[in-house]
Amino acid sequence: MPNVRVVSRNFMEMVAALPAAKLDDLYESPWTCQAVVRSLPPLAKQYVLRLLFVEAAVSSKSIQQWALTDALNKHKVAVDKLEQLRVLIDASERKKEVAYKLNPKLQKQLQEVLRTGGGVPRESLLASFAARVPSLVDLDNYATKQWEAVLLQLVSSAFAEGASTPMNSSLAQTFQRAGLITIPKGKEPPKITDNGFQFLLMDTNAQLWQIVREYVASAEDRAMDSADLISFLLELGFLNVGEPYNLNILSAMQQNVIKELAALGVLQIQAGTKDRWFIPTKLATNLSASISEDSTAPSGDGCVIVETNFRVYAYTTSKLQAEILRLFVRLEYQLPNLVVGSLTKESVSTAFASGISSDQMVTFLTKHAHPHAASKVPVVPETVTDQIRLWENDRNRVQMSPSYMYKDFPTMETYETVVNYARDIGALLWDDPAGQRLVGRAERHEEMRNFIRKQSAPPRR
Amino acid sequence: MVLEHWSKKNPTLICRKSENFEIKLRGLPQMANPQDDISQVVILLEANPYFWGERISRAANSAETTGFTFDRFLEHVLLFINSLFLLNQANRVVVIATGATSCAYLYDSQASEVAANARTARAVKKQSVVEKITQKLEDFMSKEAVCDLNQGMEDTRYSLLSGSLSMALCYIQKVLRGAPPHPRPRILCLQGSPDAPPQYVTLPYIAIMNAIFSAQRSLVPIDACLVGDQPSAFLQQATHITGGIYQKPSTPEGLFEYLAMVFATDLYSRKFLQLPGASGVDFRASCFCHKKSIDMGFVCSVCLSIFCKGQRTCTTCNANFAPNKPSATGQKPKAS
Repeated sequence: MPNVRVVSRNFMEMVAALPAAKLDDLYESPWTCQAVVRSLPPLAKQYVLRLLFVEAAVSSKSIQQWALTDALNKHKVAVDKLEQLRVLIDASERKKEVAYKLNPKLQKQLQEVLRTGGGVPRESLLASFAARVPSLVDLDNYATKQWEAVLLQLVSSAFAEGASTPMNSSLAQTFQRAGLITIPKGKEPPKITDNGFQFLLMDTNAQLWQIVREYVASAEDRAMDSADLISFLLELGFLNVGEPYNLNILSAMQQNVIKELAALGVLQIQAGTKDRWFIPTKLATNLSASISEDSTAPSGDGCVIVETNFRVYAYTTSKLQAEILRLFVRLEYQLPNLVVGSLTKESVSTAFASGISSDQMVTFLTKHAHPHAASKVPVVPETVTDQIRLWENDRNRVQMSPSYMYKDFPTMETYETVVNYARDIGALLWDDPAGQRLVGRAERHEEMRNFIRKQSAPPRR
Repeated sequence: MVLEHWSKKNPTLICRKSENFEIKLRGLPQMANPQDDISQVVILLEANPYFWGERISRAANSAETTGFTFDRFLEHVLLFINSLFLLNQANRVVVIATGATSCAYLYDSQASEVAANARTARAVKKQSVVEKITQKLEDFMSKEAVCDLNQGMEDTRYSLLSGSLSMALCYIQKVLRGAPPHPRPRILCLQGSPDAPPQYVTLPYIAIMNAIFSAQRSLVPIDACLVGDQPSAFLQQATHITGGIYQKPSTPEGLFEYLAMVFATDLYSRKFLQLPGASGVDFRASCFCHKKSIDMGFVCSVCLSIFCKGQRTCTTCNANFAPNKPSATGQKPKAS
């Protein structure tokens, strides 16, 4: 089975992977602290708030008592996450009892945030600039246009017909690093990978994050401090959309970042006679807002209507939308503001072959549903979703799982005890009593081997 | 006089009883994502000048230097509001002041966003939450003072809980009827002044109970945190019926601790956390005729109105209880 889960939102895991000292430095900035707290699972957030004004160390036992006994799993996940991010640090005094306290730097910053109510990281430029700043609508359009241009470059490599425009090289590198495209040697145009196809169907937030993540991951190569970069990126998310901020006072590294983000449509750079300033767009707010794992950002205005006869109508002028639809819909005709196509077995199968899953297609259709269609339940007709899933099942008749085969047991009894044991631990995949053979899951091999060893006569494999 | 006024109001009450069945049929209103912890919190702020004034004078009399005054109270609440925003930037907060003679919106996080988005408002320096609330509160207090002068007759030791509860519910309805996804709403009552006894305020019981039942209907939990000295039977019932949390901090000076530990918990996390349960809810109903709290009473077999004395006819629905046999007047002790 193709592994369809693209890890796209684990920006915080990257933060957690930083060395402890760097992580502690990050918590010097109130913006990082807030962004980190907001990215936590709900239960962990509550723990942070509860411990916020507690100076002394709290034993892990008493923290555990906050959770209900049947929510122990959630509790463990929350505490693990807090430890990974060094929000909670070990403050055990005696060896026996594990005790935690909040990271003092984070605690101090967050207390300050509560007292002052946050605010904005930077003062926006004077009101005299206000007249020269584009309106919010223009800004939104600008952001969408830039972002679509980025994605179109990716799409154009999907349909390699003619290879219209050569890809922007830094962008191509980022895409390549993210595993979205492969650049073959020679003069051939870059080819999109399975991950790239899946990437196209994700929502904008997830896409943006994946790009930004790659950007941060490659920061060290370009002699940037990844901790600085992360804290600056998180800070950008707290700026007010549509307000001008001075570019000249930023450090060289930050100016570089701003330039690259402007290419993505996260910011718009404007220049006056002697000043330069940047204006965050709505994509910038996503930088801090969308890191929480299951945030349901209201989707934009959709345009797709799916009918029970598998016809797909998309009221869009965007070339990108049409290109994305083309990944799994057979386009029949295109009018200036309308794209009509149908879901056929061939078109959907091609998409499966490129690694797109049925769920991704259905989510895409649901997310981009036309307001008229979106008000119905279900948004995409059940016949269509079921059929897409059936088509996918057709492809997955054979499941592969890594396994070990055990054979040549000395006696029938040993064989049977081993089979029973394998069944009990859920390792058994197949058994053949006549030939005294069995196949077990590879991940349970250790247990199986130990068990077989324990049987009086060690069997050969 | 009282009875007449009340019977005018009563039809709503009858409706409520019959609609109880509907609740089960209708099921849950569509919430965006039950996994989310995005909340719409409506805070009902105790802003009765008489209550807080009494606090100050009492503190002065007993020579306490650390009385829990309104300033302190507000400080704690503002910290709490900030911590709600810290938990999730999509959290929405509305603050409604419960005064002695009126109620008013003090703060709405959504409204401020709209204003901030408007192009004209860009140049205006942004106010922080604190500034907004304190400014509105001043306006509110001066209005309260005017109201008080105009109708100084009424006893103003009791706050208009029914008014602010209704405002909160109206607001939540507006949110729930708006475009999805909705945040999950809840109401937090920060009540200080005691429950209004019947002889002073005409109809607090029925109005509050109506509000509570409509909160139950729209699945809005009402949390209550008592900052005064006396427990509130109304709010105990409200929290019990709607599945909220009732707390009466033994030391109001530690209010923020209670707010952060208990009341900041979003509805999703509540499924996983140990939270203080209800203990000893005062379930006693008030009778419709004299508004007394009663353990046992008479219930109209037609409209379920409650009376403390047997009646010949129901004053609510005019049902005639077999006048020949006064013993059979649908005499049932009120279940408690």
